[in-house]
Amino acid sequence: MSETKQALTYADVGFGDELPELCPDVSMAMIKRFGATTGMTYWRFTDHERARASGLPGAIVPGIMSQGFLSAMIHNWAPNGRIVKIDTIFRAPVLVDSEPVCRGVVTDMNDETRIVELDLTVCNEEGETRVLGTAVVELQA
Amino acid sequence: MEVSELKEKWTGWTFDEVSFEIEAEDLSEFALSCGETVPRYTDAQDPDFQAAPSYTARFHGRRALPKDFPVDMATSFDGGKTVEWKAAIRPGDTVVARSHIHDIFEKTGRSGGMMFIVHRMEFSNQRDELVAIVDWKMIQKLA
Repeated sequence: MSETKQALTYADVGFGDELPELCPDVSMAMIKRFGATTGMTYWRFTDHERARASGLPGAIVPGIMSQGFLSAMIHNWAPNGRIVKIDTIFRAPVLVDSEPVCRGVVTDMNDETRIVELDLTVCNEEGETRVLGTAVVELQA
Repeated sequence: MEVSELKEKWTGWTFDEVSFEIEAEDLSEFALSCGETVPRYTDAQDPDFQAAPSYTARFHGRRALPKDFPVDMATSFDGGKTVEWKAAIRPGDTVVARSHIHDIFEKTGRSGGMMFIVHRMEFSNQRDELVAIVDWKMIQKLA
């Protein structure tokens, strides 16, 4: 069994706190690994040349995988937190073999329910937002 | 057809149902490829091993829209996905996903009018417990 991470409690969190950034692995090898388990093996995800020929800037990361990166970032920050809801808007493609950065910030807190709300983004190397979203997370007392 | 008419006629009823068997390796591979490191999502030996929150968003039904839906969605684009977690999905579960159109609405932006179609999949386990709701927004530009 893997090592258990340090728990984060509601009392540890403050309004405006920024989550530790996550730089996800969007190498072609990882995209293909994701594709193998989800069936998302379409050329737009796995073939740069064909994607470019179709007018895309390159092969793109599946949107659901970007949502998964944001969940992973939340769990890295709050390993025992429970994501009640996560909403993502795929504004523009995240490119395979690029270096995106996932970020999050606490935007609301409810002391009674120990629920926090987060604003989320996935940005590219130029700092452009490619995916944005929100999450509702229940934290431990 | 007006958006309000579309909404009245096509929302709120199930047009597709499909079931999925949940396997441990599939859960851990999904989580690991998304960068999860928390054992309850990555390690099948963890006593609380379960699907990562976005896991259900990977599933598709047999069709995205009801038969004879009167809008050509070939030129639509993906407006995003929302996952609402209700209960843990674990290896060995049989999950049934039922699809319906949850909402149809119109918005006007800088580039003109757009119609949003919210496709909802509700996932229940073999005990008929609701485990997840996934909303997929499809966006169609209006002429």
